[in-house]
Amino acid sequence: MSGASCKANGAVYPASSAMMNSVKKPKMEQIQADHELFLQAFESEVSPLPIFLHRTLTFMSHRNGRSNAKRKAFKVDDMLQTVEKMKGEQDSPSLSSHLQLTFTGFFHKDEKPSQNSENEQNSVSLEVLLVKVCHKKRKDVSCPVKQVPTGKKQVPLNPDSNQTKPGSYPSLLVSSNEFEPSNSHMVKSYSLLFRVSRTGRRDTNGLVNGEANENIDVTDTPSRKKRSLSHREEGETTETYVAQMTVFDKNRRLQLLDGEYEVSMQGMEDSPVSKKRATWETILDGKRLPPFETFSQGPTLQFTLRWTGDASGKSTAPVAKPLATRNSDSSSPMETRTSNHRTALMTVKESVSTDIQTRKEQVPCEPRQKLRIFYQFLYNNNTRQQTEARDDLHCPWCTLNCSKLYSLLKHLKLSHSRFIFNYVPHPKGARIDVSINECYDGSYVGNPQDIHSQPGFAFSRNGPVKRTAVTHILVCRPKRTKPSLSEFLESDDGELEQQRTYVSGHNRLYFHSDSCMPLRPQEMEVDSEDERDPEWLREKTATQLDEFTDVNEGEKEVMKLWNLHVMKHGFIADNQMNQAIMLFVENRGAHIIRRNLCRNFLLHLVSMHDFNLVSTATIDRAMARLRQIQEELPDIEEDQQDQTLVSAAACNGNAVTSSGGKQGKRTKSALTD
Amino acid sequence: VVADAEKLKQTEKCCTSMFNTNRQKIMERTDILNQEWKTRRIQPVHIMTSVSSLRGTREVIPLKTLNAVASVPVMYSWSPLQQNFMVEDETVLHNIPYMGDEILDQDGTFIEELIKNYDGKVHGDRGETLSRTNSDASKKFPSDKIFEAISSMFPDKGSTEELKEKYKELTEQQLPGALPPECTPNIDGPNARSVQREQSLHSFHTLFCRRCFKYDCFLHPFHATPNTYKRKNLENLVDSKPCGIDCYMEYPAGVVAERAKTPSKRTVGRRRGRLPNSNSRPSTPTVSSETKDTDSDREGNSMFAEGNSRCQTPVKMKLSGEAEAADWSGAEASLFRVLIGTYYDNYCAIARLIGTKSCRQVYEFRVKESSIIARAPTEDEDTPPRKKKRKHRLWATHCRKIQLKKDGSSNHVYNYQPCDHPRQPCDSSCPCVTAQNFCEKFCQCSSECQNRFPGCRCKAQCNTKQCPCYLAVRECDPDLCLTCGAADHWDSKNVSCKNCSIQRGAKKHLLLAPSDVAGWGIFIKEPVQKNEFISEYCGEIISQDEADRRGKVYDKYMCSFLFNLNNDFVVDATRKGNKIRFANHSVNPNCYAKVMMVNGDHRIGIFAKRAIQTGEELFFDYRYSQADALKYVGIEREMEIA
Repeated sequence: MSGASCKANGAVYPASSAMMNSVKKPKMEQIQADHELFLQAFESEVSPLPIFLHRTLTFMSHRNGRSNAKRKAFKVDDMLQTVEKMKGEQDSPSLSSHLQLTFTGFFHKDEKPSQNSENEQNSVSLEVLLVKVCHKKRKDVSCPVKQVPTGKKQVPLNPDSNQTKPGSYPSLLVSSNEFEPSNSHMVKSYSLLFRVSRTGRRDTNGLVNGEANENIDVTDTPSRKKRSLSHREEGETTETYVAQMTVFDKNRRLQLLDGEYEVSMQGMEDSPVSKKRATWETILDGKRLPPFETFSQGPTLQFTLRWTGDASGKSTAPVAKPLATRNSDSSSPMETRTSNHRTALMTVKESVSTDIQTRKEQVPCEPRQKLRIFYQFLYNNNTRQQTEARDDLHCPWCTLNCSKLYSLLKHLKLSHSRFIFNYVPHPKGARIDVSINECYDGSYVGNPQDIHSQPGFAFSRNGPVKRTAVTHILVCRPKRTKPSLSEFLESDDGELEQQRTYVSGHNRLYFHSDSCMPLRPQEMEVDSEDERDPEWLREKTATQLDEFTDVNEGEKEVMKLWNLHVMKHGFIADNQMNQAIMLFVENRGAHIIRRNLCRNFLLHLVSMHDFNLVSTATIDRAMARLRQIQEELPDIEEDQQDQTLVSAAACNGNAVTSSGGKQGKRTKSALTD
Repeated sequence: VVADAEKLKQTEKCCTSMFNTNRQKIMERTDILNQEWKTRRIQPVHIMTSVSSLRGTREVIPLKTLNAVASVPVMYSWSPLQQNFMVEDETVLHNIPYMGDEILDQDGTFIEELIKNYDGKVHGDRGETLSRTNSDASKKFPSDKIFEAISSMFPDKGSTEELKEKYKELTEQQLPGALPPECTPNIDGPNARSVQREQSLHSFHTLFCRRCFKYDCFLHPFHATPNTYKRKNLENLVDSKPCGIDCYMEYPAGVVAERAKTPSKRTVGRRRGRLPNSNSRPSTPTVSSETKDTDSDREGNSMFAEGNSRCQTPVKMKLSGEAEAADWSGAEASLFRVLIGTYYDNYCAIARLIGTKSCRQVYEFRVKESSIIARAPTEDEDTPPRKKKRKHRLWATHCRKIQLKKDGSSNHVYNYQPCDHPRQPCDSSCPCVTAQNFCEKFCQCSSECQNRFPGCRCKAQCNTKQCPCYLAVRECDPDLCLTCGAADHWDSKNVSCKNCSIQRGAKKHLLLAPSDVAGWGIFIKEPVQKNEFISEYCGEIISQDEADRRGKVYDKYMCSFLFNLNNDFVVDATRKGNKIRFANHSVNPNCYAKVMMVNGDHRIGIFAKRAIQTGEELFFDYRYSQADALKYVGIEREMEIA
């Protein structure tokens, strides 16, 4: 008895065979294959969107900066006051101020500063673009990005800060109306993209080109322009460095305040890495650089940033207020998504008196908290492993800052159940073994009807549509043990923890067992496939009786009627029979009379009595009821004589035609042998 | 050119009108569909907005994206069933199973062996053509050469002469109105003949299954005929009062008859048939008197009978005059003979049931027919009334027996077949006893039989070993267990007895979806508690031999739905079954299977091994059942051996 178990279609990872083949291949290919394998195992994690606020979770309680203390002193009027106050503050408009950038210079340590400044080129061409990331519209695959050129400048290369006069620095002004929302797209975030192009030594045209291009309104996409430019300068070596800084983040909070900045630039060989391709690899060929080392080595761009009220340059801001008041809870820790902008490692030279900057530096600067988390990935049936380290307590999958090791582990375990996480203490911090959870319940958490969006239904919703009931357990109060890291250690006995499912119910799409068609939610309540008398059985019993050659048509008809009656009601006990007979008369009486089967029915009753299943009283009652029904059918009564003959003849005729096809199949006498 | 242009225009017109009518039809049908769906609260179907014309003007239609639909696991077709269905062994291989070209090429021996299992017979090889030629034959009698040719080609179908006979038989029966000679004519038809009671009821008696209450049931190939069934309770057969002013009792003969009956009634219905029997002896009945009523007492009572007949004589004269006027049709006569065997001397009731004759006429006919009339049954005089004490002792022995059965050779569970050995107690020769089964209510033995299961007298839920039924792995019998609730509340699901779920079909709502493990899986709609009944594992009931033959194919397919029922039979849910057939195997299951005796039939119940939550997939261990009668089949069996 193997049942359905052998119907397996093999839902295992198809990578295993590919892995076997690659064993003897050159190392490079092997690494690639291994990488593929790794990605297959770990990349495709689709973590369900959290259905709760992180700060409300007990193990993330430190993320909740609020306390209920204020509630005691709460007055309704305070709300009005707060709003009025905020309005007043917002009236000092950050929007009316322009962004002024004054570039001190471009520093690249490969070059000695101002050595042979006569022969050598002593300036680079800088292009500043304002990048607007817009909200994704439904049809878009990714967020639409608009790049608006704000200007091109020649910036001195490795200037000696002592020599240059402050006033002579090139400066750029980004108009305030650039930050105003445009009609076509809701802009999500603004950032500045610096692009420094440094032509080779023999190039003298670069400067001229740069000057000429300044302030020209470029309507085409800048990248294409850039490419065409470099084509023109064929033969000459052009190095391009880019850096990006966020002005307003996606919560429309101002990230850049007045101050002096130094931006680390990156050589641009390929297009900037998009978020989608972000992987676990470290940036510089496995050589991990501490955050500040890039500033002593790599190319950097120095500039002063000022928010000015007018184009002439008088500073009106630092306005450390968010543009939108939507998320004014500035005291709670912000989520920093540094991994998204790996090209822009940025620090602020001058200490600025805002919360944001100080907090940004807090995490890496605090020596006590500097834990190194080693993620050890085990894959391909735990035969391969790859180790990655991380210096923060952010979740590698959803970048949630968990702040504490315990919280991180708890979060990983609960929110990323596709994997098994085991904590191993490590002298430098912690090691987390990550492996695939074979018991992972892959059933869909959302509305199952959405997976198989059924043609004709999924896209034609124009009103409320019934869904299957799925229960999400939002509140559950288990017995809480004191938080301890030991709970993440691998259990020795390998005993599988009774994993509570957090979503229960019918979180999958069901099918009709007869047609394999998807079961719609409105069809859930009634089981359409549990008939006691499915049609084929009803037909079967009739044909089976028809096969008898030595049973006459009147007998057959009564037997068929009775069989269908029993099949429909599913009688199981002898003591149900009296009741069953009366019900039969009630339901089929008229039919019996019309088909002229009364005497055959009486024979059936007597036969039942012979089997000790009904009493004579039931026979009497049943026949009396039949007479009564007969009297209630007047049309039959009138020409009963004719009817009798006609139907009887028809009956016989039927029997002949039906028996013609099924000649000699079965005889009842054969049954008793 | 002009003509051509006009022609073109016309064809275009024609096309347009055809398109429009077609469109009209589509719209109408969509409307109907939408109307229906509206009432069923389903989203309507959108079709394209109207297209103005075929030519020239712009046509605007909305685009609907049809998403790719994920494929579902493979499912071979099967027929739904809620009760087991017994099928005969297949002597012919239905089809040569196809498992892909590779298997056919590589493993030809498998098919060969398979065909060998069926003695080389494969369906559709031959034979079918024979019957077709016969039925297609023209009305002219074919020449002998044809029969000779057929006979030489298919020697197994008979000689030339036999084929000729067969031909005659098959063609002649196509004449209208003809019925096989052994068939009783329809009693409601015009050709109804006057026949014996046995003949009238023969079809009903032989085809009726006393266990399923159906004619020619799907489960029990052999049915016991009722003649050996004994009447359990003697009903008050005779109305003591006349049925009306014309009642035969109002006439002197009736009075005499009534008077004659009274003493017989006092002697507990003994010899009730004596009077008419003797009465009618001179007037030989029209029907051949094959009465097996060779009553030894008859001779001794002849004196009493003669005395009766004497005083009846004048009345008889009068009655016979009327009887001549009353014309008894064949149907009426047959019906009378049927009813007299049930109602005996209750002529009023018989007349009421016949409908077309008065009780006087019935009585008179009765007098005429007397020689063939069956006697009223005698009560078992030697059966003493049941004593409570004795019953209790019986009970105790039974409980002991159940215990013994469980301890002893429980490895073999045999199919139950009602026993029928008249005048023999159920001893070691009784098939029920040898098969270690209890006698059931379907057995022909006395209700006092020692081997009968007495049922339970629980007042609780019958779900512990306190209940003798539960202990014996039987469901409560609604005709035996009268206190636990198994015989109550037929219409509702709230039965106090929890040990009658299989027979009542109180299964849980199951839902089909692709399994989390393999192929299809079955999921439960509502949560169930531990030991709650989930579903019966239904299918075809096949013999062990047939299961071996089928199992060879299933093993090859790596997919088997065989489930051992007992030593004689196997349930195969491959072709017919219910939704639980999709439950997958697991060594750590949430369900278990239990073969139970349910009103004489072994049936497989699937029960919850632990509490199961909404939407959980169901698993049971294919290798194990509580009855321990499971044979390991399919790949599981091979694994066991390995």
